[in-house]
Amino acid sequence: MVVTFAIEAKGLHKTFVSGWFRKRIKHALRGVNLSVPEGVFWGLLGPNGAGKTTLLSIIANLLIPEQGEVYVLGEDLRRNAGAVRRRINLSSGHANFLWSLNVRENLEYYAMLYGLSGNERRQRVDDLLALFDLQEFARVRFEELSTGTKQKLSLAKSLVNDPALLLLDEPTVGLDPDVAHRIREAIRRLHRERGTTILMTTHNMKEAETLCERIAFIKDGRIKAVGKPQDLKDELRLGDTISIAFNGTVQAEALRSLQGTYEVQMSDSLCRILVDDHRKRLPQILEFFMGRQIFIHDLRIQESDLEDVFIAYTK
Amino acid sequence: MTKRNVFTLFEILFWPLVAFLSVGLLAEFAALQPEMKAFIMIGVISMSAVQVCQLDVAYALLYDVWSKAIKHGFAAPVGIRHLLFGSLIVGILRGGSVFVILVVASYALFGFNFALPGALPIALFVLGLFLSAAMVGIFVCILVLMFGNRAEVAAWSLVSLMLLLCGVYYPVSVLPAWVRVLAEVIPLTYFLEYFRLFYGFPPIFSHVLLKGYVMVIAYLVVEVYAMKAALRRAKRTGLLLKLSE
Repeated sequence: MVVTFAIEAKGLHKTFVSGWFRKRIKHALRGVNLSVPEGVFWGLLGPNGAGKTTLLSIIANLLIPEQGEVYVLGEDLRRNAGAVRRRINLSSGHANFLWSLNVRENLEYYAMLYGLSGNERRQRVDDLLALFDLQEFARVRFEELSTGTKQKLSLAKSLVNDPALLLLDEPTVGLDPDVAHRIREAIRRLHRERGTTILMTTHNMKEAETLCERIAFIKDGRIKAVGKPQDLKDELRLGDTISIAFNGTVQAEALRSLQGTYEVQMSDSLCRILVDDHRKRLPQILEFFMGRQIFIHDLRIQESDLEDVFIAYTK
Repeated sequence: MTKRNVFTLFEILFWPLVAFLSVGLLAEFAALQPEMKAFIMIGVISMSAVQVCQLDVAYALLYDVWSKAIKHGFAAPVGIRHLLFGSLIVGILRGGSVFVILVVASYALFGFNFALPGALPIALFVLGLFLSAAMVGIFVCILVLMFGNRAEVAAWSLVSLMLLLCGVYYPVSVLPAWVRVLAEVIPLTYFLEYFRLFYGFPPIFSHVLLKGYVMVIAYLVVEVYAMKAALRRAKRTGLLLKLSE
Protein backbone atom coordinates (compact mmCIF):
# COMPACT_ATOMS: atom_id res chain seq x y z
CA MET A 1 0.00 0.00 0.00
CA VAL A 2 1.36 3.41 -0.95
CA VAL A 3 1.25 5.87 1.94
CA THR A 4 0.62 9.45 0.98
CA PHE A 5 1.69 12.08 3.43
CA ALA A 6 -0.30 15.12 4.45
CA ILE A 7 2.84 16.61 5.97
CA GLU A 8 6.46 15.90 5.22
CA ALA A 9 8.89 18.10 7.11
CA LYS A 10 12.58 17.58 6.49
CA GLY A 11 15.44 19.10 8.46
CA LEU A 12 13.53 22.10 9.80
CA HIS A 13 15.55 24.67 11.68
CA LYS A 14 13.98 27.76 13.21
CA THR A 15 15.70 30.36 15.34
CA PHE A 16 14.20 33.43 16.95
CA VAL A 17 16.36 36.46 17.63
CA SER A 18 15.23 39.18 20.00
CA GLY A 19 16.76 42.33 21.46
CA TRP A 20 18.36 45.21 19.62
CA PHE A 21 21.76 45.53 21.26
CA ARG A 22 22.15 42.35 23.33
CA LYS A 23 20.69 39.83 20.98
CA ARG A 24 19.06 36.77 22.49
CA ILE A 25 18.89 33.71 20.30
CA LYS A 26 16.40 30.91 20.82
CA HIS A 27 16.66 27.75 18.76
CA ALA A 28 13.03 26.68 18.45
CA LEU A 29 13.55 23.82 15.99
CA ARG A 30 16.81 21.93 15.45
CA GLY A 31 16.46 19.67 12.46
CA VAL A 32 12.90 18.44 12.77
CA ASN A 33 11.77 15.61 10.50
CA LEU A 34 8.14 14.59 10.61
CA SER A 35 5.95 12.61 8.23
CA VAL A 36 2.22 12.58 8.87
CA PRO A 37 0.22 10.20 6.66
CA GLU A 38 -3.08 11.40 5.22
CA GLY A 39 -6.19 10.67 7.28
CA VAL A 40 -4.35 10.15 10.56
CA PHE A 41 -5.04 11.98 13.83
CA TRP A 42 -1.57 12.96 14.96
CA GLY A 43 -0.59 14.40 18.32
CA LEU A 44 2.40 16.61 18.90
CA LEU A 45 3.42 16.58 22.55
CA GLY A 46 6.18 18.27 24.43
CA PRO A 47 6.95 20.65 27.28
CA ASN A 48 6.51 24.42 27.05
CA GLY A 49 8.94 25.94 24.59
CA ALA A 50 9.67 22.60 22.95
CA GLY A 51 8.77 23.91 19.48
CA LYS A 52 5.24 22.55 19.01
CA THR A 53 3.57 25.82 18.04
CA THR A 54 6.59 26.81 15.95
CA LEU A 55 6.30 23.60 13.92
CA LEU A 56 2.54 24.04 13.51
CA SER A 57 3.01 27.66 12.45
CA ILE A 58 5.60 26.72 9.83
CA ILE A 59 3.18 24.16 8.37
CA ALA A 60 0.47 26.86 8.35
CA ASN A 61 2.85 29.19 6.48
CA LEU A 62 2.83 31.70 9.32
CA LEU A 63 6.53 31.24 9.98
CA ILE A 64 9.40 30.72 7.56
CA PRO A 65 12.16 28.33 8.68
CA GLU A 66 15.84 29.11 8.13
CA GLN A 67 16.51 25.63 6.82
CA GLY A 68 14.56 22.63 5.72
CA GLU A 69 11.67 21.71 3.49
CA VAL A 70 7.98 21.26 4.13
CA TYR A 71 5.59 19.48 1.81
CA VAL A 72 1.95 19.85 2.71
CA LEU A 73 -0.64 17.75 0.87
CA GLY A 74 1.98 17.10 -1.78
CA GLU A 75 2.79 20.77 -2.38
CA ASP A 76 6.11 22.42 -1.65
CA LEU A 77 5.26 25.12 0.88
CA ARG A 78 7.97 27.45 -0.39
CA ARG A 79 6.71 27.37 -3.96
CA ASN A 80 2.98 26.86 -3.58
CA ALA A 81 2.00 28.41 -0.27
CA GLY A 82 -1.24 29.81 -1.72
CA ALA A 83 -2.41 26.40 -2.92
CA VAL A 84 -1.56 24.89 0.47
CA ARG A 85 -3.39 27.61 2.41
CA ARG A 86 -6.53 26.94 0.41
CA ARG A 87 -6.59 23.31 1.64
CA ILE A 88 -5.54 23.64 5.27
CA ASN A 89 -6.83 25.53 8.27
CA LEU A 90 -5.92 26.05 11.89
CA SER A 91 -7.53 26.60 15.24
CA SER A 92 -5.72 27.71 18.37
CA GLY A 93 -6.48 27.78 22.04
CA HIS A 94 -7.17 31.27 23.44
CA ALA A 95 -9.10 32.03 20.25
CA ASN A 96 -9.12 35.59 18.96
CA PHE A 97 -11.26 36.94 16.17
CA LEU A 98 -12.55 40.32 15.09
CA TRP A 99 -14.18 41.55 18.27
CA SER A 100 -16.73 43.86 16.66
CA LEU A 101 -18.26 41.09 14.52
CA ASN A 102 -20.76 38.55 15.77
CA VAL A 103 -20.33 34.80 15.41
CA ARG A 104 -22.08 34.55 12.04
CA GLU A 105 -20.25 37.57 10.63
CA ASN A 106 -16.89 36.20 11.73
CA LEU A 107 -17.61 32.89 10.00
CA GLU A 108 -18.87 34.70 6.89
CA TYR A 109 -15.78 36.89 6.86
CA TYR A 110 -13.37 33.96 7.01
CA ALA A 111 -15.48 31.99 4.52
CA MET A 112 -15.06 34.95 2.17
CA LEU A 113 -11.29 34.90 2.69
CA TYR A 114 -11.34 31.25 1.61
CA GLY A 115 -13.19 32.19 -1.56
CA LEU A 116 -16.74 31.15 -0.68
CA SER A 117 -19.55 33.35 -1.92
CA GLY A 118 -23.32 33.59 -2.17
CA ASN A 119 -25.47 30.63 -1.22
CA GLU A 120 -22.50 28.31 -0.78
CA ARG A 121 -21.08 30.59 1.88
CA ARG A 122 -24.40 31.02 3.67
CA GLN A 123 -25.02 27.28 3.63
CA ARG A 124 -21.53 26.48 4.91
CA VAL A 125 -21.89 28.97 7.76
CA ASP A 126 -25.33 27.57 8.65
CA ASP A 127 -23.90 24.04 8.69
CA LEU A 128 -21.00 25.07 10.93
CA LEU A 129 -23.28 26.93 13.32
CA ALA A 130 -25.36 23.77 13.60
CA LEU A 131 -22.36 21.45 13.87
CA PHE A 132 -20.96 23.30 16.86
CA ASP A 133 -24.31 24.27 18.47
CA LEU A 134 -23.61 27.92 17.82
CA GLN A 135 -27.00 28.95 16.41
CA GLU A 136 -28.09 30.69 19.60
CA PHE A 137 -24.88 32.74 19.56
CA ALA A 138 -25.01 33.60 15.86
CA ARG A 139 -25.82 37.26 16.56
CA VAL A 140 -23.62 37.64 19.64
CA ARG A 141 -20.49 39.71 19.20
CA PHE A 142 -17.20 37.89 19.64
CA GLU A 143 -16.14 39.98 22.62
CA GLU A 144 -19.31 38.94 24.50
CA LEU A 145 -18.76 35.19 24.10
CA SER A 146 -17.60 32.83 26.83
CA THR A 147 -14.20 31.18 26.46
CA GLY A 148 -15.79 27.86 25.51
CA THR A 149 -17.99 29.42 22.84
CA LYS A 150 -15.01 31.33 21.43
CA GLN A 151 -13.22 28.03 21.17
CA LYS A 152 -16.16 26.45 19.38
CA LEU A 153 -16.15 29.39 16.98
CA SER A 154 -12.44 28.84 16.43
CA LEU A 155 -13.08 25.22 15.49
CA ALA A 156 -16.02 26.21 13.29
CA LYS A 157 -13.84 28.79 11.54
CA SER A 158 -11.18 26.17 10.94
CA LEU A 159 -13.69 24.17 8.89
CA VAL A 160 -14.97 26.94 6.63
CA ASN A 161 -12.88 25.66 3.73
CA ASP A 162 -13.49 21.96 4.54
CA PRO A 163 -9.73 21.48 4.99
CA ALA A 164 -7.88 18.33 4.07
CA LEU A 165 -5.44 19.10 6.88
CA LEU A 166 -6.45 20.66 10.17
CA LEU A 167 -3.91 22.09 12.60
CA LEU A 168 -5.10 22.33 16.19
CA ASP A 169 -2.92 24.19 18.66
CA GLU A 170 -4.03 23.30 22.19
CA PRO A 171 -7.72 23.38 21.28
CA THR A 172 -9.01 22.79 24.83
CA VAL A 173 -6.54 24.88 26.81
CA GLY A 174 -8.18 26.97 29.53
CA LEU A 175 -11.60 25.34 29.15
CA ASP A 176 -13.56 23.79 32.00
CA PRO A 177 -13.76 19.98 31.85
CA ASP A 178 -17.33 19.89 30.53
CA VAL A 179 -16.66 22.27 27.63
CA ALA A 180 -13.30 20.61 26.93
CA HIS A 181 -15.07 17.25 26.72
CA ARG A 182 -17.61 18.59 24.23
CA ILE A 183 -14.90 20.19 22.12
CA ARG A 184 -12.98 16.91 22.17
CA GLU A 185 -16.09 15.05 21.03
CA ALA A 186 -16.58 17.52 18.20
CA ILE A 187 -12.98 17.02 17.08
CA ARG A 188 -13.30 13.23 17.30
CA ARG A 189 -16.52 13.33 15.25
CA LEU A 190 -14.90 15.56 12.69
CA HIS A 191 -12.02 13.16 12.20
CA ARG A 192 -14.27 10.11 12.11
CA GLU A 193 -16.88 11.52 9.73
CA ARG A 194 -14.71 13.55 7.36
CA GLY A 195 -11.45 11.64 7.54
CA THR A 196 -9.61 14.93 7.93
CA THR A 197 -5.91 14.66 8.74
CA ILE A 198 -5.38 16.37 12.07
CA LEU A 199 -2.17 17.51 13.70
CA MET A 200 -2.86 18.59 17.27
CA THR A 201 -0.66 19.95 20.02
CA THR A 202 -1.79 19.54 23.59
CA HIS A 203 -0.52 19.41 27.14
CA ASN A 204 -3.40 17.19 28.12
CA MET A 205 -2.05 13.64 27.96
CA LYS A 206 -5.44 12.02 28.43
CA GLU A 207 -6.73 14.06 25.52
CA ALA A 208 -3.83 12.92 23.35
CA GLU A 209 -4.27 9.32 24.40
CA THR A 210 -7.97 9.23 23.65
CA LEU A 211 -7.87 11.20 20.37
CA CYS A 212 -4.55 10.59 18.67
CA GLU A 213 -3.64 7.53 16.64
CA ARG A 214 0.02 8.55 16.50
CA ILE A 215 2.10 10.71 18.78
CA ALA A 216 5.30 12.65 18.22
CA PHE A 217 7.27 13.87 21.23
CA ILE A 218 9.23 17.03 20.73
CA LYS A 219 11.74 18.52 23.13
CA ASP A 220 14.31 21.28 22.68
CA GLY A 221 13.32 21.57 19.03
CA ARG A 222 13.95 17.91 18.25
CA ILE A 223 11.53 15.06 17.68
CA LYS A 224 12.38 12.52 20.38
CA ALA A 225 9.97 9.74 19.51
CA VAL A 226 7.15 8.91 17.14
CA GLY A 227 4.63 6.10 17.33
CA LYS A 228 1.33 4.77 18.60
CA PRO A 229 0.73 5.53 22.29
CA GLN A 230 1.10 1.85 23.23
CA ASP A 231 4.27 1.46 21.14
CA LEU A 232 5.81 4.44 22.89
CA LYS A 233 5.07 2.88 26.27
CA ASP A 234 6.54 -0.41 25.10
CA GLU A 235 9.61 1.30 23.71
CA LEU A 236 10.30 2.95 27.04
CA ARG A 237 9.45 -0.30 28.85
CA LEU A 238 7.12 1.70 31.06
CA GLY A 239 4.69 -1.19 31.34
CA ASP A 240 2.15 -1.63 34.13
CA THR A 241 2.78 -1.98 37.85
CA ILE A 242 1.13 -4.84 39.74
CA SER A 243 1.33 -4.31 43.50
CA ILE A 244 0.69 -7.37 45.66
CA ALA A 245 0.45 -7.52 49.44
CA PHE A 246 0.94 -11.06 50.71
CA ASN A 247 1.61 -13.26 53.72
CA GLY A 248 4.61 -15.50 53.36
CA THR A 249 7.98 -15.49 51.66
CA VAL A 250 8.64 -14.74 48.02
CA GLN A 251 11.95 -14.82 46.21
CA ALA A 252 12.34 -11.78 44.04
CA GLU A 253 14.62 -13.61 41.61
CA ALA A 254 11.93 -16.18 40.89
CA LEU A 255 9.46 -13.44 40.12
CA ARG A 256 11.95 -11.66 37.88
CA SER A 257 12.34 -14.79 35.78
CA LEU A 258 8.65 -14.68 34.77
CA GLN A 259 8.06 -13.76 31.16
CA GLY A 260 7.29 -10.07 30.49
CA THR A 261 8.60 -8.88 33.85
CA TYR A 262 10.79 -5.80 33.73
CA GLU A 263 11.45 -5.19 37.39
CA VAL A 264 10.53 -6.45 40.86
CA GLN A 265 10.70 -4.40 44.06
CA MET A 266 10.25 -6.27 47.30
CA SER A 267 9.69 -4.95 50.81
CA ASP A 268 8.55 -7.23 53.68
CA SER A 269 5.13 -8.42 52.60
CA LEU A 270 4.67 -6.16 49.57
CA CYS A 271 6.03 -6.52 46.09
CA ARG A 272 5.78 -4.26 43.09
CA ILE A 273 6.11 -6.02 39.76
CA LEU A 274 6.63 -4.01 36.62
CA VAL A 275 5.35 -5.96 33.63
CA ASP A 276 4.98 -5.14 29.96
CA ASP A 277 1.18 -5.68 29.97
CA HIS A 278 -0.79 -6.60 33.07
CA ARG A 279 -3.54 -8.27 31.02
CA LYS A 280 -1.05 -10.78 29.67
CA ARG A 281 1.01 -11.29 32.83
CA LEU A 282 -1.45 -11.27 35.71
CA PRO A 283 -2.54 -14.92 35.33
CA GLN A 284 1.04 -16.23 35.54
CA ILE A 285 1.79 -14.04 38.53
CA LEU A 286 -1.32 -15.24 40.36
CA GLU A 287 -0.35 -18.78 39.46
CA PHE A 288 3.11 -18.11 40.89
CA PHE A 289 1.69 -17.06 44.26
CA MET A 290 -1.04 -19.71 44.42
CA GLY A 291 1.40 -22.46 43.42
CA ARG A 292 3.51 -21.58 46.42
CA GLN A 293 0.41 -21.30 48.62
CA ILE A 294 1.18 -17.69 49.41
CA PHE A 295 -1.90 -15.81 50.54
CA ILE A 296 -2.61 -12.56 48.65
CA HIS A 297 -4.61 -10.07 50.67
CA ASP A 298 -4.38 -7.05 48.38
CA LEU A 299 -3.71 -6.56 44.68
CA ARG A 300 -3.56 -3.31 42.76
CA ILE A 301 -2.82 -2.56 39.14
CA GLN A 302 -1.51 0.71 37.87
CA GLU A 303 -1.38 1.15 34.12
CA SER A 304 1.20 3.50 32.68
CA ASP A 305 -0.17 6.24 30.50
CA LEU A 306 1.07 8.91 28.14
CA GLU A 307 1.85 11.12 31.09
CA ASP A 308 4.52 8.61 32.12
CA VAL A 309 5.82 8.61 28.55
CA PHE A 310 5.82 12.40 28.58
CA ILE A 311 7.75 12.52 31.84
CA ALA A 312 10.22 9.91 30.58
CA TYR A 313 10.90 11.88 27.40
CA THR A 314 11.08 15.27 29.06
CA LYS A 315 13.43 14.22 31.87
CA MET B 1 -16.30 45.04 9.90
CA THR B 2 -16.94 48.50 11.19
CA LYS B 3 -20.68 48.76 11.01
CA ARG B 4 -21.16 48.49 14.77
CA ASN B 5 -18.09 50.49 15.61
CA VAL B 6 -19.16 53.88 16.93
CA PHE B 7 -15.73 55.31 16.11
CA THR B 8 -16.56 54.84 12.46
CA LEU B 9 -19.24 57.51 12.73
CA PHE B 10 -16.75 59.81 14.38
CA GLU B 11 -14.25 59.20 11.61
CA ILE B 12 -16.71 59.76 8.78
CA LEU B 13 -18.78 62.57 10.22
CA PHE B 14 -17.63 64.06 13.46
CA TRP B 15 -13.91 64.74 13.05
CA PRO B 16 -14.07 65.86 9.39
CA LEU B 17 -17.01 68.15 10.11
CA VAL B 18 -15.38 69.60 13.22
CA ALA B 19 -12.16 70.28 11.31
CA PHE B 20 -14.06 71.68 8.33
CA LEU B 21 -16.31 73.96 10.40
CA SER B 22 -13.41 75.20 12.54
CA VAL B 23 -11.36 76.13 9.50
CA GLY B 24 -14.37 77.56 7.65
CA LEU B 25 -15.41 79.73 10.58
CA LEU B 26 -11.83 80.87 11.11
CA ALA B 27 -11.73 81.92 7.45
CA GLU B 28 -14.98 83.85 7.92
CA PHE B 29 -13.68 85.49 11.08
CA ALA B 30 -10.45 86.49 9.36
CA ALA B 31 -12.54 87.89 6.50
CA LEU B 32 -10.32 86.21 3.94
CA GLN B 33 -10.49 87.06 0.27
CA PRO B 34 -12.57 84.52 -1.72
CA GLU B 35 -9.46 83.03 -3.38
CA MET B 36 -7.74 82.61 0.01
CA LYS B 37 -10.86 81.00 1.37
CA ALA B 38 -10.86 78.66 -1.65
CA PHE B 39 -7.23 77.76 -0.92
CA ILE B 40 -8.07 76.75 2.62
CA MET B 41 -11.36 75.00 1.73
CA ILE B 42 -9.60 72.83 -0.85
CA GLY B 43 -7.02 71.95 1.77
CA VAL B 44 -9.40 71.00 4.56
CA ILE B 45 -11.76 68.98 2.32
CA SER B 46 -8.87 67.12 0.70
CA MET B 47 -7.15 66.26 3.95
CA SER B 48 -10.35 64.93 5.51
CA ALA B 49 -10.94 62.61 2.54
CA VAL B 50 -7.30 61.50 2.53
CA GLN B 51 -7.32 60.83 6.28
CA VAL B 52 -10.48 58.67 6.17
CA CYS B 53 -9.35 56.73 3.10
CA GLN B 54 -5.82 56.07 4.38
CA LEU B 55 -7.19 54.90 7.73
CA ASP B 56 -9.33 52.32 5.94
CA VAL B 57 -6.33 51.01 4.06
CA ALA B 58 -4.37 50.83 7.32
CA TYR B 59 -7.34 49.16 9.01
CA ALA B 60 -6.82 46.20 6.67
CA LEU B 61 -4.15 45.19 9.17
CA LEU B 62 -4.93 47.27 12.23
CA TYR B 63 -8.34 45.68 12.96
CA ASP B 64 -6.72 42.24 12.84
CA VAL B 65 -3.83 43.44 15.00
CA TRP B 66 -6.15 44.99 17.58
CA SER B 67 -8.27 41.81 17.63
CA LYS B 68 -5.09 39.68 17.80
CA ALA B 69 -6.49 37.74 14.86
CA ILE B 70 -3.90 38.63 12.26
CA LYS B 71 -2.61 35.07 11.86
CA HIS B 72 -6.03 33.86 10.74
CA GLY B 73 -6.07 36.42 7.94
CA PHE B 74 -2.63 35.45 6.71
CA ALA B 75 -3.33 31.73 7.12
CA ALA B 76 -6.12 32.16 4.56
CA PRO B 77 -5.29 32.13 0.84
CA VAL B 78 -5.35 35.91 0.65
CA GLY B 79 -2.52 37.83 -0.97
CA ILE B 80 -1.25 41.32 -0.27
CA ARG B 81 -2.96 42.58 -3.42
CA HIS B 82 -6.37 41.27 -2.25
CA LEU B 83 -5.88 42.84 1.13
CA LEU B 84 -4.87 46.23 -0.21
CA PHE B 85 -7.30 46.38 -3.10
CA GLY B 86 -10.24 45.41 -0.88
CA SER B 87 -9.37 47.93 1.80
CA LEU B 88 -8.78 50.66 -0.79
CA ILE B 89 -12.27 50.12 -2.20
CA VAL B 90 -13.73 50.55 1.29
CA GLY B 91 -11.48 53.56 1.80
CA ILE B 92 -12.62 55.16 -1.45
CA LEU B 93 -16.28 54.61 -0.53
CA ARG B 94 -15.87 56.12 2.92
CA GLY B 95 -13.39 58.81 1.91
CA GLY B 96 -15.65 59.62 -1.05
CA SER B 97 -18.61 60.01 1.32
CA VAL B 98 -16.64 62.44 3.48
CA PHE B 99 -15.57 64.31 0.38
CA VAL B 100 -19.14 64.69 -0.92
CA ILE B 101 -20.48 65.72 2.51
CA LEU B 102 -17.82 68.40 2.90
CA VAL B 103 -18.16 69.68 -0.67
CA VAL B 104 -21.91 70.12 -0.14
CA ALA B 105 -21.34 71.70 3.30
CA SER B 106 -18.71 74.09 1.90
CA TYR B 107 -21.21 75.33 -0.67
CA ALA B 108 -24.14 75.50 1.74
CA LEU B 109 -22.33 77.11 4.66
CA PHE B 110 -19.52 79.14 3.13
CA GLY B 111 -20.57 79.59 -0.49
CA PHE B 112 -17.50 77.78 -1.84
CA ASN B 113 -17.94 76.31 -5.33
CA PHE B 114 -15.86 73.15 -5.49
CA ALA B 115 -17.26 72.30 -8.93
CA LEU B 116 -15.66 75.31 -10.59
CA PRO B 117 -12.80 73.40 -12.31
CA GLY B 118 -15.23 70.99 -14.03
CA ALA B 119 -15.79 67.22 -13.95
CA LEU B 120 -12.49 65.96 -15.40
CA PRO B 121 -10.16 68.04 -13.19
CA ILE B 122 -12.24 67.07 -10.15
CA ALA B 123 -12.04 63.39 -11.11
CA LEU B 124 -8.26 63.59 -11.65
CA PHE B 125 -7.80 65.47 -8.40
CA VAL B 126 -9.94 63.07 -6.35
CA LEU B 127 -8.21 60.04 -7.87
CA GLY B 128 -4.88 61.61 -6.93
CA LEU B 129 -6.13 62.13 -3.39
CA PHE B 130 -7.19 58.51 -3.01
CA LEU B 131 -3.95 57.19 -4.47
CA SER B 132 -2.08 59.42 -2.01
CA ALA B 133 -4.25 58.03 0.77
CA ALA B 134 -3.48 54.47 -0.35
CA MET B 135 0.21 55.34 -0.31
CA VAL B 136 0.03 56.49 3.31
CA GLY B 137 -2.19 53.58 4.40
CA ILE B 138 0.12 50.98 2.86
CA PHE B 139 3.10 52.67 4.49
CA VAL B 140 1.34 52.27 7.85
CA CYS B 141 0.75 48.57 7.08
CA ILE B 142 4.45 48.13 6.26
CA LEU B 143 5.45 49.80 9.52
CA VAL B 144 3.02 47.57 11.48
CA LEU B 145 4.50 44.46 9.86
CA MET B 146 8.00 45.66 10.72
CA PHE B 147 7.54 47.10 14.19
CA GLY B 148 4.26 45.65 15.44
CA ASN B 149 1.72 47.49 17.57
CA ARG B 150 4.05 50.39 18.25
CA ALA B 151 3.74 51.50 14.64
CA GLU B 152 -0.02 52.02 14.77
CA VAL B 153 0.56 55.62 15.83
CA ALA B 154 1.69 56.22 12.23
CA ALA B 155 -1.92 55.80 11.10
CA TRP B 156 -2.70 59.19 12.61
CA SER B 157 0.64 60.97 12.66
CA LEU B 158 1.64 60.56 9.02
CA VAL B 159 -1.32 62.56 7.77
CA SER B 160 -0.53 65.28 10.32
CA LEU B 161 2.98 65.40 8.92
CA MET B 162 1.56 65.78 5.42
CA LEU B 163 -0.67 68.56 6.72
CA LEU B 164 2.48 70.37 7.72
CA LEU B 165 4.49 69.68 4.57
CA CYS B 166 2.16 69.54 1.58
CA GLY B 167 0.78 73.05 1.58
CA VAL B 168 -2.68 72.23 2.87
CA TYR B 169 -3.37 75.54 4.58
CA TYR B 170 -0.51 77.58 3.09
CA PRO B 171 1.57 77.40 -0.09
CA VAL B 172 4.75 75.34 0.15
CA SER B 173 6.68 78.46 -0.91
CA VAL B 174 6.43 79.68 2.69
CA LEU B 175 8.31 76.63 3.95
CA PRO B 176 12.06 76.84 4.65
CA ALA B 177 14.08 75.57 1.68
CA TRP B 178 15.14 72.29 3.35
CA VAL B 179 11.54 71.52 4.38
CA ARG B 180 10.32 72.33 0.89
CA VAL B 181 12.54 69.55 -0.41
CA LEU B 182 10.46 67.15 1.67
CA ALA B 183 7.24 68.66 0.28
CA GLU B 184 8.51 68.09 -3.23
CA VAL B 185 8.72 64.32 -2.76
CA ILE B 186 5.13 64.03 -1.55
CA PRO B 187 2.60 63.61 -4.40
CA LEU B 188 -0.22 65.30 -2.48
CA THR B 189 1.69 68.60 -2.80
CA TYR B 190 1.26 68.44 -6.59
CA PHE B 191 -2.38 67.32 -6.57
CA LEU B 192 -3.33 70.23 -4.29
CA GLU B 193 -1.42 72.66 -6.45
CA TYR B 194 -3.07 71.25 -9.60
CA PHE B 195 -6.56 71.84 -8.27
CA ARG B 196 -5.77 75.30 -6.95
CA LEU B 197 -4.59 76.37 -10.39
CA PHE B 198 -8.28 76.50 -11.39
CA TYR B 199 -8.89 79.05 -8.65
CA GLY B 200 -6.20 81.35 -9.94
CA PHE B 201 -3.26 80.49 -7.73
CA PRO B 202 0.08 80.92 -9.49
CA PRO B 203 1.99 77.63 -9.94
CA ILE B 204 5.09 76.92 -7.90
CA PHE B 205 5.98 73.71 -9.72
CA SER B 206 5.66 72.70 -13.37
CA HIS B 207 3.75 69.67 -14.72
CA VAL B 208 2.12 69.17 -11.37
CA LEU B 209 -0.44 66.53 -12.39
CA LEU B 210 2.13 64.45 -14.24
CA LYS B 211 4.62 64.70 -11.38
CA GLY B 212 1.92 63.80 -8.86
CA TYR B 213 0.75 60.71 -10.73
CA VAL B 214 4.21 59.43 -11.68
CA MET B 215 5.36 59.84 -8.10
CA VAL B 216 2.32 58.27 -6.46
CA ILE B 217 2.22 55.30 -8.84
CA ALA B 218 5.95 54.71 -8.39
CA TYR B 219 5.57 54.85 -4.61
CA LEU B 220 2.62 52.45 -4.71
CA VAL B 221 4.52 49.90 -6.80
CA VAL B 222 7.52 50.11 -4.47
CA GLU B 223 5.25 49.86 -1.43
CA VAL B 224 3.48 46.72 -2.63
CA TYR B 225 6.85 45.00 -3.00
CA ALA B 226 8.02 46.46 0.31
CA MET B 227 4.90 45.14 2.01
CA LYS B 228 5.48 41.67 0.59
CA ALA B 229 9.04 41.83 1.90
CA ALA B 230 7.80 43.09 5.28
CA LEU B 231 5.35 40.17 5.49
CA ARG B 232 8.12 37.69 4.68
CA ARG B 233 10.26 39.33 7.34
CA ALA B 234 7.42 39.15 9.87
CA LYS B 235 7.11 35.43 9.11
CA ARG B 236 10.85 34.98 9.55
CA THR B 237 11.12 36.91 12.81
CA GLY B 238 7.90 35.53 14.29
CA LEU B 239 6.33 39.00 14.57
CA LEU B 240 3.22 37.80 12.74
CA LEU B 241 2.58 35.27 15.50
CA LYS B 242 3.46 37.73 18.26
CA LEU B 243 0.82 40.11 16.91
CA SER B 244 -1.75 37.33 17.41
CA GLU B 245 -0.88 36.66 21.06
